[in-house]
Amino acid sequence: MAEIAKVAVIGAGVMGAGIAAHVANAGVPVLLLDIVPKGADNRNAIAEGAIAKMQKADPAPFMSKAAARLVTPGNTEDDLAKLADCDWIIEAVVEKLDVKQALYRRIDAVRKAGSVVSSNTSTIPLAALTKGLGETFARDFLITHFFNPPRYMRLLEIVTSPQTRPDALEAVERFADFKLGKSVVHCKDRPGFIGNRLGVYWLQTAVVEAFDLGLEVEEADAVMGKPMGFPKTGVFGLLDLVGLDLMPHIHASMTAALPKNDPYQQAVRDLPLIDRMLAEGYTGRKGKGGFYRLNRDGGAKVKETLSLKTGEYRPQQKADLDIPKDIKAQLASDTKAGRYAWAVMARTLSYAAMLVPEVADDIASVDEAMRLGYAWKQGPFEMIDRLGTEWFVARLEKDGLPVPELLRTAAGRPFYRVENGRRQMLGPDGAYHDIVRPDGVLLLEDIKRTREPLLKNGSAALWDIGDGVACFEFTSKLNTIDADIMALLAKATKLVARDFKAMVIYNEGTAFSAGANLGLALFAVNIAAWPILEQMITEGQAVYKGLKYAPFPVVGAPSGLALGGGCEILLHCDALQAHAESYIGLVECGVGLIPAWGGCKEMLHRWSTLGKLPKGPMPAVAKVFEMISTATVAKSAAEAKELLFLKPNDGITMNRYRLLADAKAKALELARDYVPPQEPEFVLPGESAAVAMGLAAESFHRRGLATKHDLVVSGTLAEVLSGGDTDVTRTLRESDVLALEFSRFQKLLHHPDTLARIEHVLETGKPLRN
Amino acid sequence: MATYKAPLRDMRFVLYELHDGAALSSLPGLEDMTPELFDPVLEEAAKVCEEVLFPLNRSGDEEGCQFENGVVRTPKGFIEAYKTFREGGWTSITADPAYGGQGIPNIVNVLITEMICSANLSFGLYPGLTQGACKALVAHGSDELKERYMPKLVEGTWSGTMCLTEPHCGTDLGLCRTKAVPNDDGTYRLSGTKIFISAGEHDLTENIIHFVLARLPDAPPGIKGISLFLVPKFLPNADGTPGKRNGVSCGAIEHKMGIKASATCVLNFDEATAWLVGSPHKGMRSMFTMMNEERLAVGLQGLGLAEVSYQGAVAYARERLQGRSLSGAKYPDKPADPIIVHPDVRRMLLSMRAAAEGCRALGAWVGQAVDIAAHTDDPKAKQEAEDFVALMTPIVKALFTDYGFETANHGVQVMGGHGYIREHGMEQYVRDARIAQVYEGTNGVQALDLVGRKLGAHMGRNLRSFFHPVAEFIQSRSDNPALSRYVDPLTKAFVRLQQATGQIAKVGLKRPEEAGAAATEYLRLFGLVALAYQWARMAEVSLKKLEEKTGEDDFYRAKLATGAFFMDRVLPQTGALFSSIMAGGSTMIEFPEAAF
Repeated sequence: MAEIAKVAVIGAGVMGAGIAAHVANAGVPVLLLDIVPKGADNRNAIAEGAIAKMQKADPAPFMSKAAARLVTPGNTEDDLAKLADCDWIIEAVVEKLDVKQALYRRIDAVRKAGSVVSSNTSTIPLAALTKGLGETFARDFLITHFFNPPRYMRLLEIVTSPQTRPDALEAVERFADFKLGKSVVHCKDRPGFIGNRLGVYWLQTAVVEAFDLGLEVEEADAVMGKPMGFPKTGVFGLLDLVGLDLMPHIHASMTAALPKNDPYQQAVRDLPLIDRMLAEGYTGRKGKGGFYRLNRDGGAKVKETLSLKTGEYRPQQKADLDIPKDIKAQLASDTKAGRYAWAVMARTLSYAAMLVPEVADDIASVDEAMRLGYAWKQGPFEMIDRLGTEWFVARLEKDGLPVPELLRTAAGRPFYRVENGRRQMLGPDGAYHDIVRPDGVLLLEDIKRTREPLLKNGSAALWDIGDGVACFEFTSKLNTIDADIMALLAKATKLVARDFKAMVIYNEGTAFSAGANLGLALFAVNIAAWPILEQMITEGQAVYKGLKYAPFPVVGAPSGLALGGGCEILLHCDALQAHAESYIGLVECGVGLIPAWGGCKEMLHRWSTLGKLPKGPMPAVAKVFEMISTATVAKSAAEAKELLFLKPNDGITMNRYRLLADAKAKALELARDYVPPQEPEFVLPGESAAVAMGLAAESFHRRGLATKHDLVVSGTLAEVLSGGDTDVTRTLRESDVLALEFSRFQKLLHHPDTLARIEHVLETGKPLRN
Repeated sequence: MATYKAPLRDMRFVLYELHDGAALSSLPGLEDMTPELFDPVLEEAAKVCEEVLFPLNRSGDEEGCQFENGVVRTPKGFIEAYKTFREGGWTSITADPAYGGQGIPNIVNVLITEMICSANLSFGLYPGLTQGACKALVAHGSDELKERYMPKLVEGTWSGTMCLTEPHCGTDLGLCRTKAVPNDDGTYRLSGTKIFISAGEHDLTENIIHFVLARLPDAPPGIKGISLFLVPKFLPNADGTPGKRNGVSCGAIEHKMGIKASATCVLNFDEATAWLVGSPHKGMRSMFTMMNEERLAVGLQGLGLAEVSYQGAVAYARERLQGRSLSGAKYPDKPADPIIVHPDVRRMLLSMRAAAEGCRALGAWVGQAVDIAAHTDDPKAKQEAEDFVALMTPIVKALFTDYGFETANHGVQVMGGHGYIREHGMEQYVRDARIAQVYEGTNGVQALDLVGRKLGAHMGRNLRSFFHPVAEFIQSRSDNPALSRYVDPLTKAFVRLQQATGQIAKVGLKRPEEAGAAATEYLRLFGLVALAYQWARMAEVSLKKLEEKTGEDDFYRAKLATGAFFMDRVLPQTGALFSSIMAGGSTMIEFPEAAF
């Protein structure tokens, strides 16, 4: 079938609207329909309201303003005929079988032949949905289950029936993969599919065990959070987030659909405290509060927690538990935290093992679903491997807990292994099978299993990723940039020039780079190691400049945060291939500094050559001043393009797994007839412009929008951006602007208020507004 | 032959010329604290130390404390000396005027304490511990406790102790077992055994107030479950006189290497009535108020012994006639030259002098910061001063006491066999000095405190309070040729310290044991640079004074010469220390335990 060029989403609730927004993020026009509210003047009120709300939401469902314009609101009475233009129609209406079926009949009457219809249901079996709707409909139908929020959760569960057309599936899967950036996991037509079947079981078990073992909410969340590799909200925090009122509905449908002997049935139990919370409207964040609440009585805001022991709210307490870092040590320790962790994880991990092959064909699908749908750092089978299957089975037996079939099959062997550099997983048949990546997916993780790095030190490595392309990887904590990275970049630049065609700068951390290592810098300041700090700046400038004018093309491929020095390295690349979820910005002013590794210089050059601005040197300077002085961070790659962190021809990749392959392709494309860029020249307005920007900052200060030290920092930034003591009749070179960056950065680094900012952000993670 | 004259000229140099002690009166609450007040106080202190305390030093050592039936008797003359000391107001010298104290600034007290330690270290421990106890009580005690106990402690009719150590629990106070059980009236019943309690029992005061670490029944295990209690030997009557004997008794006194006139007691608490000081389970915090102060004071013990040992050695070296100078007779009219003509004797004497004068300058710098931290109303200056005191406390404690011992040893060496025999009193200084390296946290623990806590705190912010002034000094004096004799070596050593600091921070983050392995050498390296900075500053002041022709050329020339000796002959040790630190700790860390 043809490419999906237009999509419709019916149902403009949280999920439907979010899915529509994300289709728009992919640059595909989308129709968003909902019912006509009774007695409404505006018959599109629901869909229009949803779009308006999403434009203000944070985190934003839309990646750009342009994306929002691609969503056309409508209603299911007047606009149903428009479905005839759509290649894919996604149903995301209320979870009632009769409502859905009635809608499908109306859709089927207008949709074009060969279009695909899917449901975002999370509880109704596919067989029930298509029953009685005819063979053609059944052939064009499947379940596509998104996770909330659809833009950010990378999991898409797909369920098909034997009747589903293979090419319909392929079209949706390709679209989901390349355009929506989702990882597709195939599930069988079983209640809750993979993610919710295991995820809700885990949540429920964790809640029940907290009551049974006498833990408080903070204690349970401290255990079932970060130490276990789960999101730091823990379980009670997560319930507050999704809404407690949702749980009875999910439980009702799950217990009705699952066999009587399924462990899920035993996990569900009436908890009087939760019943009372629901009756009193404590449904979580959307209600009056949940297990956590912000009590505003008496003026002050007090963070409170519901005590599971007394059933009353009390001020939030920090859990005083001794939690080992290692998962196995956690589960093995005979402490309150350890006993709780074991009670919950023994059941959860066992339950995961029961889901293969009942719900998923293989263990990798279960792990992928939990990582991408529930944001677990590791999937359940990866966690079992950390414990050792033998240890885990022995402990289950010791505690008289049932041992699932798959764990017997493993017979002490790990679920995953590496054989000849290939990652393999254990199948229900007891044999190991290669884990096959989708076509065109290239991951550094896989490459690293098969070869040694070309270069390596404590903070970075250089890899051969084939076809004459090398990949430079940061490996430091949060990928912060330090002297080791600079040293290896300098080495890599020489080596690549000699042996390779191109270089890609890429890594698979959660952040591309959080910027320069401020801890080291602050320590150096504190011991007055001024020469080291000077060297840090000049070396950084030289290395980045070396990248820019190297005799080979350099492609930066960020994903996640790319801030400060991590942004500046991208600005010196020939081109970027950015993951759609890239958050790029020059945030130095937040810690009382300015960009000094060429960030000011590159942004000035970009805005004066590529920015659609009025003539003359001043508009570009003012624009860059505004961006840097307010520490603007692009909230997507699309937004980064608007801010010129990406150049117009830079690429955006929706699927995280395809980023390296796309970056490599871009690098090879540039490598044909590559000529390094010409050094730019700068005409800058000089002191009068600095004065003007200073006045603007003053007015912000007077309105309480800028602090005392903000004025110092933005004043210093203005000196750099306006070109120091130059004027419009003179032409400056790159080295002139770099010298300005250097001297002004130095000045700020000696300022006690800057040091207080750096110290505060490092100690608390929060900015200091001094 | 032991002799002591308080080094008042050098003290005034440090107080006024080097550290501008006159400026203290600009701090809120110290308006009356001027040189006009300080000078007579220092002179009076010198007199008491030289005439009352010093003459009892050797006899006290010979006689020691006597223990009989739970009673401790101090050596002959101590009771009278204490009476004179107390009546002279010396127990109340630094105490808050609100409780009858004189509120003398710390920088002055640092000098007085040094004199007391020079004159009679054992004696000094009795009132010294009371000062620390007062600080803890003022900082953490209830108003009722303060009103009842402070005036007596300040006037010195009662004395104080710090009861931390137990038979199985020394450095690791989390192991403390002494228990306190609440009574209905808000007091507690405290039971347990404490050992190594200085001044735990004696006959100098009518009552002894013990500050005791113990556990409440609901205390969490470890260091977070320790509370601080006040336990008087006699329960005070309503009129403030000592009443009924409390359930605390002295079981024995230790027989020890030095400070023999100081009673080191085993104290048995048997359901003794106790009062909580500060919050439950927060005893360590309350105790540390006392302990930080004590650590600085112990550093001064090292300094005091260095000074007095130097004085004895110089006197002997001038008089002792043996052999001839290597370049021919210097005193042909005498049967032999005095040994002071020999370079090796001079090496020892100058090492001793450089240590004493350098530590005096450094100690006063830290003392001044204590005053600023306590009195300034500028939050930035307060934080900076607090950072500086926190950073320098382990250095003052360990460096000064190591120098105290090394210097006392030089003192014996200069005198040869006459130093070794008891008659001349020089060997007593070695024995007395030894304990200062051990108590209040061994010097190894001080070094760990420096690298483990003080270095990394707030991303190294403590360090700024030292490194920035030194860097600034070096930079602003770089084109002063007259000073380069001092500033150049300082610069060289300072760079070594910067590099070693960076190295320890870097490797210590990943492998804490590496920082532990470097700690002692690092503390000495840091201490030497701090002394070098003081010497460079003293040289600058002296050069200026010589230009001004104040008529004290000899004093300033000697200062410059001692500083030059320090730069040439002592500071180069930083090179060796630096090499040791950079070599890393693997030889120690990886040495198989079984092979020891």
